[in-house]
Amino acid sequence: MALLEITDLHAETAGKPILKGLSLSVNAGEIHAIMGPNGAGKSTLGYVLAGRPGYEVTGGSASYDGVDLLAMAPHERAAAGLFLGFQYPVEIPGVSSVQFLRTALNAQRRARGQDELSAGEFLRIARDQAAALGLDFEMLKRPVNVGFSGGEKKRNEMVQMGIIDPRLAILDETDSGLDIDALRTVGDGINRIMRAPNKAVVLITHYQRLLDYVRPDFVHVLAGGRIDRSGGPELAHELEREGYGARAA
Amino acid sequence: MSVLELPSTRQEAWRWSDLSALPELARQPHGALRAADDLWIGCGGPRLLFVDGVFDAARSDAGPFAIGQITSDASSHPLGKLAGREGWSLRLGRDHAPAGTVEIVHLATGGAGHVAGEILLDDDAQASVVQSFIGDGWSNQATQIRLGRSARLMLARRIAQGSGFTSLADDAALGAGASFTTTLLAEGAGDSRVDLAATGAGEGVYVEAGGALLARGGQHHDVNIVLRHAGLDGQSRQIWRAVAEDGGTDSIAARVEVARGAQKTDADQSLRGLLLDRTSTINLKPELEIFADDVRCAHGATVGELDARALFYLASRGVPPVEARALLVRAFVADALDRIGEEAVREAFGGYAQSWLGGAQ
Repeated sequence: MALLEITDLHAETAGKPILKGLSLSVNAGEIHAIMGPNGAGKSTLGYVLAGRPGYEVTGGSASYDGVDLLAMAPHERAAAGLFLGFQYPVEIPGVSSVQFLRTALNAQRRARGQDELSAGEFLRIARDQAAALGLDFEMLKRPVNVGFSGGEKKRNEMVQMGIIDPRLAILDETDSGLDIDALRTVGDGINRIMRAPNKAVVLITHYQRLLDYVRPDFVHVLAGGRIDRSGGPELAHELEREGYGARAA
Repeated sequence: MSVLELPSTRQEAWRWSDLSALPELARQPHGALRAADDLWIGCGGPRLLFVDGVFDAARSDAGPFAIGQITSDASSHPLGKLAGREGWSLRLGRDHAPAGTVEIVHLATGGAGHVAGEILLDDDAQASVVQSFIGDGWSNQATQIRLGRSARLMLARRIAQGSGFTSLADDAALGAGASFTTTLLAEGAGDSRVDLAATGAGEGVYVEAGGALLARGGQHHDVNIVLRHAGLDGQSRQIWRAVAEDGGTDSIAARVEVARGAQKTDADQSLRGLLLDRTSTINLKPELEIFADDVRCAHGATVGELDARALFYLASRGVPPVEARALLVRAFVADALDRIGEEAVREAFGGYAQSWLGGAQ
């Protein structure tokens, strides 16, 4: 059974159809890259899977580990092991990252019937993950993402992913806004946290460069609201050379 | 029984208040006494308990307080003048400061309880006072505050009655260099009306007035502030946060007056409201009246809803909706409550706000 099974998914936002029959099967242990031109529906796919209000599924299905993903509330999807890395991480004034993530992690643990972590246990994990991603731990004591640079926000997304330790990560343009060193750090982070036989990653990206660090098992082209083409890692290089328009032309 | 004369909503300063329940509350008998062990925050200072406006000596440790007739001028406030002349008096001589924060608990059991209070601090004296208004009924207090040169007063209030009405009328006069910080947390399930009129006559006074109003289910909290800067170099800060849901109403009218000659006045007002649903109401009215030309007065008033993007971000990390909302609302009111200087009081107030928010549906 696939960890994520999307079948003929149709979705719209603000009355405008975006996904038009998208199908995708992701098994545990796999990393899939989804590439495509702007406006193809890449971010919408991430939002629909994570359950963002305002994105309405009008047809098709998506199951996670055999369970109907679309029937779950967003926080239940997270507790089940789904993580969405945001293209534009949200700033939350007045709430520190430490407070936010401890609340999140313990809510997930409660939902899974596990004991909550003590403050000490949580801080140890948070410190380790921040260090591994090259983010100053002091920044996690500050309000979530407030005053962070684009690169720091993306590192923070990965720190969050490290702390939460999901089974399925959907990473929406995690590479945008990163310089070459940060790209390597983030790429190493994705490999370290998510490369495991029981986990999977859907890497949504516009460019091939992150794929130099996180080598995908499959590459898909999303165009016109559906998977237009699939292949191995070599497809990413081909797209980089020829552009998304080459094949359509 | 004499007829209760109450201001009408046709008067501008009372147009958002709903006093209609007061005559009936005043007619009710007092209820049964209850234990008071859980009423205290535990600040290590003197403790005063008033039950329905009457001092409970057996359960108090009055320290430097005098109980009985107050000496200050009577309040001219429409509700404050009903408070009478009996109550508590904290009078501190020059350079004097009682150990620890003073706690005054006003427990209402039903009916009306009226208390007069006064805080008279001589030059360089300082005090920290926290008051809680709990129980059911009408609890009414008028407080006269007189601060001498460089005296400092920190006053924190928690209005948390389960039902009924709490009305507070403060009249404060500050000498040169005096500092007065007052923070209000209005929560519970009863209605309230809080008036503060503070005048800084001397040079270099500092006034900070703010707080958090939390209303739900037809509850009304109503705050009226008038800060008068009459001396040079005065400073005032107002940070008010209002949260309303399920038909609750919060109203804040905050006026700053700068008298002729009160140059270099520096006054800030930040009034912000958060509506948790479309059935609730928040009224914000910042006002400035300036008769001096070399001053800095800033005011801002906004009413909004919770940030949907932040709610989804929290949900995407596994935070359930009720907790996510509580986290964001707590952050919203923290701006105001974090101003409380005494750590024990700040933490206690934060906890009270958190439990109120945790109960949000």
